[in-house]
Amino acid sequence: MTDDTDEQRPVGADPVTAAELSVPADEPQYDCAYCDRVFARERHRDLHRGQAHPDRVGESAAAAYRGAVESERESLVRYRYVALGALVVLYFGFLVAFAVVGV
Amino acid sequence: MARLGRGVAVAALVAGAATPAGVGRVLAHSGGLRGAAPESLSVPVWLFLATGGGVIGASFLLASFVTDRAFVDRLDAWRGPRLPLGRLANAAGRLFGVAALAVALVSGLLAGSVTPLAPERNAATLIVWVGWWGVVVASTYLVGDTWRTVDPFRTVASVVPTLDRDYPASLGAWPAAVGVLGLVFLEVVTPMADDPQLLATVVAGYGVVAVAGWVVFGPAWFGTADPLARLAAAYGRIAPLTRTADGWRLRLPGTGATETAWVDGRDQAAFVVAVVYATTYDGFVGTGLWETVASSVVGWGVPPLGAYLALLAGGFGVFYGGLALSGRLARRTAATFLTPTALVRRFTPPLLAIAAGYHLAHTLGTTLTLLPTTLAVAVSPLSPPAAVPTLVVPGWFGAVGITSVLGGHLLAVWIAHTIAYDTFPDRLQAVRSQYGVTVVMVAYTMVALWIVTTPGGAPPFV
Repeated sequence: MTDDTDEQRPVGADPVTAAELSVPADEPQYDCAYCDRVFARERHRDLHRGQAHPDRVGESAAAAYRGAVESERESLVRYRYVALGALVVLYFGFLVAFAVVGV
Repeated sequence: MARLGRGVAVAALVAGAATPAGVGRVLAHSGGLRGAAPESLSVPVWLFLATGGGVIGASFLLASFVTDRAFVDRLDAWRGPRLPLGRLANAAGRLFGVAALAVALVSGLLAGSVTPLAPERNAATLIVWVGWWGVVVASTYLVGDTWRTVDPFRTVASVVPTLDRDYPASLGAWPAAVGVLGLVFLEVVTPMADDPQLLATVVAGYGVVAVAGWVVFGPAWFGTADPLARLAAAYGRIAPLTRTADGWRLRLPGTGATETAWVDGRDQAAFVVAVVYATTYDGFVGTGLWETVASSVVGWGVPPLGAYLALLAGGFGVFYGGLALSGRLARRTAATFLTPTALVRRFTPPLLAIAAGYHLAHTLGTTLTLLPTTLAVAVSPLSPPAAVPTLVVPGWFGAVGITSVLGGHLLAVWIAHTIAYDTFPDRLQAVRSQYGVTVVMVAYTMVALWIVTTPGGAPPFV
């Protein structure tokens, strides 16, 4: 913060460093072979390898990445249904609340 | 502002401001939240608060539907044309800042003898509360960090030699955080808003500290420790214009806050929380709840100043504690090995958008009303016109307050979304990492909305 401009750094300019991780010994951990990030879920690690080191991953890691992308996509679809449900409940909840006590 | 009574509408402010006495009251407690809500609510308070919180929750859900990484990155990385700003404009800005400081100091210190004592006719109160707090500070998040150029303390300091000692890393941004809280404390417990002489003394004292900081530590003082320079730089991250080596550059509002690397520890996070909390504190001391609490605490023999100080520290602790808890929660919900501190530090910058929303909600009406007054008085501080001009702000303007509070929160939700995508490889993990910070934002909003709608008065015992 002592520099004289706040010149833009590119996106991803705040990478996670090893010092920012605390890995409990008794939990499964998935290491990235190309950097020092450690993940608690296999899918997170596989996605990270494909996104952060696309040029370095081997065939098996690339296959794992594709599988993780598919699994992530399915999870997101499920999440969207839940989120949409929550929005509907929120919307009609307020609609009813305003109709009953408002105005 | 506190003295205007309950749930002050901007419309009511304007009505009050039309008379000279009203202007003084408008100037009082310019730092708080009161004044941002509509005059009367047609729905129960709990529903109003729940709706405010619900809007934040709903916007978090809506933002989470945007799952296109490339789109999120593109918005974040978008840069418009460069706007070269000549040396002449810079010099003009510096000169303007120093001239305004000089006029404010002279007319403040000589108030009662040479210049008028009444705050609404004295250039010191008008320049500080309307010119600086209303216009310059608002411009730091609406335009860009203008204060870096206008800052008269920096300009004065730059002609003084410096020892250029190493700024102690362990101090970090703590002086800035304590400074922001200290200034709002002074504003609440002293008649600084009404008393030009006291105000000018505080400004002069601040200037002495700033120049002394420069003499010892050089540019590091303004970059790290000086509260007002840090406030403007932090707000500047929300702004659509950013300073680059060769002039200003356009970007989307808020995208400066997605670069989280500058919040490199608890000190910087505490500074941001201090900025958010300062307005809440100033609003809370005017509520009936605080009057009740303060009355009983003072009844037990605690000095009033002690009670105010305890509230300042305790409330800040609650705000910061909530954020720290959200970091712990994020570690669990996102299934990540990032430490809570690392998570807190990444999710702190969005709060700046919230603080900017509060600031605009609070100051815009007053600033517009008193801007003509300020200009008229600032050009002839020794003998201001007998009838000071004011701008009559239309009644619908009250809606701007609520809109900017909510707008700040919506921007904060989007900034947090971008940061989460930047940090986590899994998009569902990114969404889940924001649960904690979203709860914190909902809580901050509801507190802020409660303050603006609750019956308020002058802070008791001070």
